[in-house]
Amino acid sequence: MRFWAVVIRHACRNMLLTWKSQGMTLFTVSLSVLIFSFFYLVYVNALHIGEQLGDDLRLVVYLDEAPPSPLQEEYRRKILKFDQVERIEFISREQAFKRFEHILGPGSDVLTGVPTDFLPASIEVYPVRTLDSLSRIKRFSDYLQTLPGVLKVQYGKEWIERFYAFIQLMRVITLLSGSLLIMTTTFMVAHTIRLTLFARQQELELLRLVGATNNYIRTPFLLEGALQGGIGACGGLGALLVLYNWISLQFAGPNAISLPAFAFFKWPVVVAIIGLSTLLCIAGSFSAIRRFLHL
Amino acid sequence: MNPENSPPPAMIDLIKVSKVYPPNVQAISDVSLTIAKGEVVFLIGMSGAGKTTLLRLISRMEKPTKGMVDVAGMDVIKLSERDIHLLRRKVGMAHQDFKLLPERTVADNIAIALEVVYCPQSLIEKRIQELLEQLDLTKKYNTRAGELSRGEQQRVSIARAVANNPEIILADEPTGNLDAETTARVMALFEQLHRRGATLLIATHDRALFHDTPHRVIELRFGRILSQSKTEGSYDDLGELAPALEEIEP
Ligand SMILES: Nc1ncnc2c1ncn2[C@@H]1O[C@H](COP(=O)(O)OP(=O)(O)OP(=O)(O)O)[C@@H](O)[C@H]1O
Ligand SMILES: [Mg+2]
Repeated sequence: MRFWAVVIRHACRNMLLTWKSQGMTLFTVSLSVLIFSFFYLVYVNALHIGEQLGDDLRLVVYLDEAPPSPLQEEYRRKILKFDQVERIEFISREQAFKRFEHILGPGSDVLTGVPTDFLPASIEVYPVRTLDSLSRIKRFSDYLQTLPGVLKVQYGKEWIERFYAFIQLMRVITLLSGSLLIMTTTFMVAHTIRLTLFARQQELELLRLVGATNNYIRTPFLLEGALQGGIGACGGLGALLVLYNWISLQFAGPNAISLPAFAFFKWPVVVAIIGLSTLLCIAGSFSAIRRFLHL
Repeated sequence: MNPENSPPPAMIDLIKVSKVYPPNVQAISDVSLTIAKGEVVFLIGMSGAGKTTLLRLISRMEKPTKGMVDVAGMDVIKLSERDIHLLRRKVGMAHQDFKLLPERTVADNIAIALEVVYCPQSLIEKRIQELLEQLDLTKKYNTRAGELSRGEQQRVSIARAVANNPEIILADEPTGNLDAETTARVMALFEQLHRRGATLLIATHDRALFHDTPHRVIELRFGRILSQSKTEGSYDDLGELAPALEEIEP
């Protein structure tokens, strides 16, 4: 108890004394967290949207002939050779006609007299809804095109593929900004704590002389790192929330195209980001202590 | 086994201790010295004789090049980094260069020694008041240490050394900058700590301190123990020390 009371007092006094460099560090940590969480938020939401799109995403392979069962097996094998799929359905001409009729509903009268085999048979391929396979959908389609007896391959809209490529790009950017976050926070915190260690060398040596334990001397600096990481992360996320609300407002007006379910982080993610930043900063301060505090 | 006949337990025990500073300054050579619990010992000798070095060896600010140092039952040389605080809490040292934090107040400077042993704030406050009163510094409570006179700084450094009632007090030139009256105050404080059972080792040039003292006086010269008075009896009784004294104070 008394240990922590003393440690907290020391850390606070130290942070007040060096408020300038503390401010710089806080700013850097906040900015890094902001950049990282911005990209991460975009990525998470894009992923979410992508999943929803994937729900009714399928490749329709039109065939010139309805394949008999042995040939169906052959097709199945060839398709699976390219990629895992969720399921494959063979649609005969008749089934296609029935579906069409169903879609037209009451207007299906127009179909009277039309031969039931006027629609081509097809294979419907439902790709696995993972990012990897979805972003390969164009190549998948090209591959299916090369199978024998295939007339034409159709899948969603043109932009779907680009959208999934975008998601992948976002993933790379998120990873990069994450590494940036790791480097800046640990480096900045290590740097400020090193400065404090040099500035207070005399005092720290004295503490040792009058019987302070190593923990008594070190813990305030670790706490300082933790506070910088925690408060910095809160600052960065706060700024992101403000930005998010501002953007939402821009889209909110009466003639708005509402963003499909573009949501802010859920609580566990917020806590995780703050925790991560705190841990990183503790690591930074720990490394500075290891290298520059010789007791 | 009569307890009165058995020697009092040694608080500080140096056995054939040598200290060579790099490259080859022989500061202490082959010093053996035993100080009993509760004893008061004056360490004298001309400048450069090795007094400060000897005190630093006892508080483990230096490690000896050779020999054994035993303090309060701890083998000081083998003491690991993690356990040094155990020694330092038993040994209060008033340094020759004071080692005060100039930017902090007098009270803060003294409080440091009490905070590291997790002394409650109210007790810290009380102890500081008490010490400042004894050393005639009450008015300087909130003054920054850097703004004090040398003599005042010296007293603050003594106050810090004795603040948490350590078992051993090492005072390096504690009255070097003090007038007779203030010196008397410091000595009264030491006397009080002695009565409470502390062991004191006082390095000094100030003849007034050890002249006529009932305590042991040890003289160092060129890092060796030149002479010692008997445990009982005054320094002046010791004929062999007289020539040495002449050199210290012509
Ligand atoms: N850190 C050091 N490095 C090298 N030599 C040192 C160091 N400290 C002390 N010495 C040398 O060791 C010898 C003893 O010094 P010490 O400080 O112990 O003397 P002292 O008796 O305390 O002198 P004074 O009365 O002037 O304080 C001196 O010759 C000094 O130059
Ligand atoms: Mg000295």
